[in-house]
Amino acid sequence: MSDSVATPLENPLRAGLRLWRTPEPCIVVIFGASGDLTSRKLVPALYNLARERRLPGGFSVVGFARREWDDAAFRQVLLEAVNANSRARPVEAALWASFAEGIFYHRASFDDPAGYARLAERLAAIDAARDTGGNRVFYLATPPEAYPEIVAQLGAHGLNRSPGGGWTRIIIEKPFGRDLESARDLNRRVLAVFDERQVYRIDHYLGKETVQNLLVFRFANGIFEPIWNRRYVDHAQITVAESLGVEDRGGYYDRAGALRDMIQNHLTQLLTLTAMEPPVAYDADAVRDEKVKVLRAIRPIAPAEVERLTVRGQYGPGSVSGRPMRGYRDERGVAPDSQTETYVALKFFIENWRWAGVPFYLRSGKALPRRVSEIAILFRRVPTLLFADTPVNEIEPNVLAIRIQPDEGITLKFSSKVPGQAQIRPVTMDFRYGTSFGVASPEAYERLLLDCMLGDSTLFTRRDEVEASWALLTPILEGWAAGPPQDFPNYEAGAWGPAAADAFIARDGRAWRRL
Amino acid sequence: MNTLPFVDSATIEGELQRLWQETAETATGGEAVTRALTLNLIARATDLAMAERIGAVARELVTSHPNRTLLAICRPEETPPRIEAWVQANCLLSAPGVPQVCGEQISIDARGPVSAQIASLILALLAPDLPVVLWLPGPAPFDDPLLPRLRGVIDRLIIDSRDLAEPAGDLRRMAAFDRDPGTPPGGARRIALSDLGWAALTPWRELTAQFFDTRPLLPHLRRLDQVDIGYVPDGERLNPMPGLLIAGWLAACLDWTPLEEAVSVEGATLRLHLRRPAVGVGPRAIRLVTIIIAPVSAAAGAAPGLASLRLRALDGVSADFHVQRADEQGHILTSAEVAGHPPVRRLTRCVTPSLAEVMAAELRLLSRDAMFSAALQRAARFAAGLT
Repeated sequence: MSDSVATPLENPLRAGLRLWRTPEPCIVVIFGASGDLTSRKLVPALYNLARERRLPGGFSVVGFARREWDDAAFRQVLLEAVNANSRARPVEAALWASFAEGIFYHRASFDDPAGYARLAERLAAIDAARDTGGNRVFYLATPPEAYPEIVAQLGAHGLNRSPGGGWTRIIIEKPFGRDLESARDLNRRVLAVFDERQVYRIDHYLGKETVQNLLVFRFANGIFEPIWNRRYVDHAQITVAESLGVEDRGGYYDRAGALRDMIQNHLTQLLTLTAMEPPVAYDADAVRDEKVKVLRAIRPIAPAEVERLTVRGQYGPGSVSGRPMRGYRDERGVAPDSQTETYVALKFFIENWRWAGVPFYLRSGKALPRRVSEIAILFRRVPTLLFADTPVNEIEPNVLAIRIQPDEGITLKFSSKVPGQAQIRPVTMDFRYGTSFGVASPEAYERLLLDCMLGDSTLFTRRDEVEASWALLTPILEGWAAGPPQDFPNYEAGAWGPAAADAFIARDGRAWRRL
Repeated sequence: MNTLPFVDSATIEGELQRLWQETAETATGGEAVTRALTLNLIARATDLAMAERIGAVARELVTSHPNRTLLAICRPEETPPRIEAWVQANCLLSAPGVPQVCGEQISIDARGPVSAQIASLILALLAPDLPVVLWLPGPAPFDDPLLPRLRGVIDRLIIDSRDLAEPAGDLRRMAAFDRDPGTPPGGARRIALSDLGWAALTPWRELTAQFFDTRPLLPHLRRLDQVDIGYVPDGERLNPMPGLLIAGWLAACLDWTPLEEAVSVEGATLRLHLRRPAVGVGPRAIRLVTIIIAPVSAAAGAAPGLASLRLRALDGVSADFHVQRADEQGHILTSAEVAGHPPVRRLTRCVTPSLAEVMAAELRLLSRDAMFSAALQRAARFAAGLT
């Protein structure tokens, strides 16, 4: 059997209110084990899960990379990484010793068939020693160029199927393709080796609590859904702003740009969750069916329309949070005449009964004044003036803002009378995760790794979803490529994007939210 | 007749209002103070030391459940008879730039016979339209005079079975309350019972359940013959309560039923005799299961409570699942040794949660904990054999 989703175990001791299911013992094989993602996110997440008793005994990790390490050296590297990056620091020595017994290093290059043959033997040996039952998760944390080779080699060595009734799954990091054609090609290659239900395309935004809470907020409360449509909503703004520049990812970023790096995945996910219809059930296929419907209902922006419906920007030298920042073209790995966008704003229309005529403005950029992600629903203004001293256009519309980071929470803005005066002033009603629940939200990677081990793909991207999103964005890339070169840089590091972005939304009689 | 300093609910409400006004005015740095209430927590103390402990928990609870705490200090034996009340805001230390979140606390100190009036004062001071939780710490919650007076308004009663004076008798009273909390007839509400002693067992139940999330090991759960439960006594006091609750839990989950002579006692060791459905030998066949609950010797300063839980199948293919304290620094060792499988051991973390953390976990529950009810009813049946 390749996957156990269809037959979850019925453990009678799990009955009751408080006991969460733990995954079956398994081996997580990380390709790209010497990389940044492994040290910063993956292994700290796994350690935290073990520390919080969410992983079973026997759980094991195998790091696959070219560097000349052995098990002991790899464990030491990971110990330092967890000490530097875990939310539970410092590492407890006794706990680490027990966790590290299950960490192994496998030295091989991604294109060496003998390395995979030895990997198969190694995994079988770990199964025998640690009772992991043939259950495996392969995690592709490598540069995307290596994905097809690794997938093909796994298939060639029979590692796409588990021995002895276990399951095998594969997690693929973003970017999943760089346009529609390459995404389709990658899907074809992956699905030639694995079944779709074995494939977990990860977008860590979906692991964030507030993103998951979006569905709870919409579908577990009776008061919002009736107004969640074109009759009451004027428009929506989805913002993912980063205050950092490209840091040491210049080489990668210059080939990608903000549309591929952020809009195609994170912002599209936020858009679909905001706009989707209620799914028939909270399960992987029902939720993803509805998300795909949203993507299919979005009117594509044709190459000829890109100048009207999108804005691009690239940051020049400036300063962010009081620190000087060099311009994008001065970053390492970036071409001095680069035409890559570090800022995108665009406008989508979803042509269905719920949203026809309601614009969804998406914006994302680097080197912006602060790091903030939010979804804001701006409601229509009141229809007429009732209070003599306040003109109707001065009464601010109601806004429901869902903050994803930092400081996760939900804010509702409404108008209120100033005590003792005849003035009306906007006030906000605030819900903050940190203060209402008082517990630290788990890291997105913890949630997603655990979901994958449990066989729940609800928070991962399905094949048709990833292709539908590329189908929307590829014409924009083509339109940009066909147009004249941009006069980059066009915004200073530390500003809220180019002036053209303000003019873009102002043309519709609206303005970006001040964040 | 002495004239008593009279405290009424309107005076207290007025004081609360003044408190919030002052708090808003004195807020520093331009940061707003947010008053947040998610429930009414009525807590009863019998002396000032207990009141202090409850106050500390109430302040810590603001992080997860900002609430109106009504702290009733009932001291009927003390003189002179009087009722005093005071109010305070319980605030979180906040980070710069983040509004401060505060709950509120009303403390009522009643000495002498007037402490009988305290329930009426509490009823008038409940924040409307919020759940009402009554917390009765101490050895005799079911004899507390507040309970019958507040029964009609509370949604949840919280006690701690680890503190109960008479484990055997009290277990039966707990079970009786859980079956019939005496809510007025026709009421839609049914009082949920929470036991902080049961809540403290959650990590043990979790680690035990984890063994059987593994497909090849799951069948052994139906083959268990013997369960050994070790606990660290509370000083000189033997309190097998956690062991009885764990035994009740296993019996409820695995469909084990007590034999007629279900309990035997040898010194401090309890033996529970049950039968379980037999596996693979016809529908009517049964097998016996023995649960042994015994105190264990522990290092000086070891926290009382569960120390070891071992589940074994001895007949046929041997299987041995063991969860035990590894040290007193909050580490637990789990091991599974099953014939035909490699032994799997690992160390995990299980720091004893603070009282406030256990309370917070209980307050997160919205409904009755059906598994607790089932475990409690069976534990009470075992306890009946002890008397």
